[in-house]
Amino acid sequence: MSNPLADMDKPEVIFAIGTNMTECHPVAATGLKKALAKGAKLIVADPRRIRLAELADVYLPIRVGSDVALLLAMAHVIAREGLVDKEFIATRTTGFDAFLGHLNDFTPEWASSICEVPAADIEQAALFYGQAERGAIYYTLGITEHICGVDNVQSLCNLVLMTGNIGREGTGINPMRGQNNIQGAGDCGAVPQNFPGFQPITDPENVKKFAQVYQQPLMDTGDYATKVDALNRCGNEIRAILIDGENTVVTDPDRNHCEHALKSLDHLVVIDIFLTETGQLADVVLPATGFGETDGVQANTERRVQRLRAAVPPQGEAKPDWWIIAQIAQRMGTPGFEFTSAKEVFNELCSLSPIYAGLDWDRIDKGEYQWPVPHKDHPGTPILHEKEFKNGKGVFKVIGYRDPAEVIDDNFPFWLTTGRRLEAYHSRTQTGRSEGIDYLLSEETLEIHPDDLARLEVADGETVRMASRRGEIEIKVEATTRSPRGTVFTSFSFAEVAVNELTGSGYDPVTQTAELKVCPVRLTPLTLPATTADRN
Amino acid sequence: MRAAKSPGEVKKTRTICPYCGVGCSVDILSKEDRIVGIHPAMDGPANKGALCVKGQFAYDFVQHTDRLKKPLVRGDDGQLHETDWDTALDRAADGFKKVLEEHGRYATYGIASGRAPHEAAYSMQKFIRATYGTHRIDNCSRA
Repeated sequence: MSNPLADMDKPEVIFAIGTNMTECHPVAATGLKKALAKGAKLIVADPRRIRLAELADVYLPIRVGSDVALLLAMAHVIAREGLVDKEFIATRTTGFDAFLGHLNDFTPEWASSICEVPAADIEQAALFYGQAERGAIYYTLGITEHICGVDNVQSLCNLVLMTGNIGREGTGINPMRGQNNIQGAGDCGAVPQNFPGFQPITDPENVKKFAQVYQQPLMDTGDYATKVDALNRCGNEIRAILIDGENTVVTDPDRNHCEHALKSLDHLVVIDIFLTETGQLADVVLPATGFGETDGVQANTERRVQRLRAAVPPQGEAKPDWWIIAQIAQRMGTPGFEFTSAKEVFNELCSLSPIYAGLDWDRIDKGEYQWPVPHKDHPGTPILHEKEFKNGKGVFKVIGYRDPAEVIDDNFPFWLTTGRRLEAYHSRTQTGRSEGIDYLLSEETLEIHPDDLARLEVADGETVRMASRRGEIEIKVEATTRSPRGTVFTSFSFAEVAVNELTGSGYDPVTQTAELKVCPVRLTPLTLPATTADRN
Repeated sequence: MRAAKSPGEVKKTRTICPYCGVGCSVDILSKEDRIVGIHPAMDGPANKGALCVKGQFAYDFVQHTDRLKKPLVRGDDGQLHETDWDTALDRAADGFKKVLEEHGRYATYGIASGRAPHEAAYSMQKFIRATYGTHRIDNCSRA
């Protein structure tokens, strides 16, 4: 997030796109509701009539995967109506003229034919955002889990840059991170392209520094592989994987592909708190300490670095993840793993990461710092990009609309979109084992419009067969107008409804994020025989 | 609250909720070795006293009987069997050594967790980069 959570009640206009915040980030959504109580306007773009849509001044139920078209048309209207921030564009950005020329043809009428929402509503949304003194954008995986995820984000950046809605209180571009420490995993360098602190592996200075500190003279410059690459190459180039706390076979797209990949390894080691579906494929499973048993650090969606504290002893012989990894490293003869506490590990990270340079274990005791904190006298950075962008000027990107990797046709006539639910978390290794929660939501359903059910001649609550080009599952239907006609929804949380056997139609070419939000499917009543002719 | 009915002192420990990325501060309420409740922290910098249904109530998993309590290794019978830490860690390291010897430094991959603390993610990337000199490391954010 460019702006802190505390800013959420400060915008005049909020544009929430691809974020089901009331279910996925409920506490953050309370800030947004406060803004509405103070009179802020809310624009919501989401294929599903989520709870946020009920609060919206403009609700845009766009077709799944049509975000770029909507955002181009909003930029068109903002430019046409002279709502651009000329001073901001002149002093803080580059590439505006080319972008402006590009916008000409992308009228709300053009977008309306792709997004399947009225042109007048697109116009109104653009006017609200363009006229706001303080406009803030919030988004989640509805923006990124597409083959055009990067295009979607850059389209949002274009709106931000042309209106100057960045670097000030109550503005900004704010992705809501979905897991408690997914921000931290990136901060710590557990990504292929960056050393800790987002220091690129393409920079020879960084490579030199880490080669020296880690005593590894062979350190590669530039070469990397993502997890998607690794899973594609299992059994060939990739022979061993160490997985920490991820139920890969349930949460990743195309489950059959994923299971096959892990089974073809010579060696799989899984560290987790439960014996997950992924752990069941491993050669070695190592028990980790969990919430309430672990001292450590995590970073939230607003880059706030906070302390975790152990309250109770570990279950059985469970050990902290860092200790387990250090033990394996020591047995491999890798130097630098003589850690005796979480504090030592964290302080080493701070010493190597410029954005954490001003932090250490003791300084983050109260959690008041948001990175970057470049030195010990620095107060932290709640709002990013106040005076300048990281690389100088903000760059307008010329982007065109592309269809999703797979589109609906006669064989697969429904759009399936997937997501999360308030009462379940990911693959339910945790919430499925919490009594009250399991009572609130104990089974998965497929949300479908009543008209579609009538057309299929299926009654509410019956089970249907749902097939994509990759697989087939059975699922109970739930009639609801939350789903628009022609689009169905389910979560990936329940192992017994393995929706990720169907997903995996395509990946963003830059980030390799899977298009989990779009998957054409066919629905057949269980009473009819299955047809598998289209599976490949 | 269930905890009020049983004897013993309630201990409060300040930590952060384990679910979404908002990072709500909570107090774990524990009696002896049991977690008996979760309270939102009124002075939590991210949540200022607010907490959702998962954060408030979904903590039973921590002390659930399904928790892994001992390391497991796959035996000749194809099944996973409980063992001691030394045996399991040796087995884990021996497998990685063998792959390194037979297939070289590009053959091993590390996947860090978006759920575990910084120290886990940092150690995982250091393990890959320091052991192999490669960038064959990722986390679950692409899924």
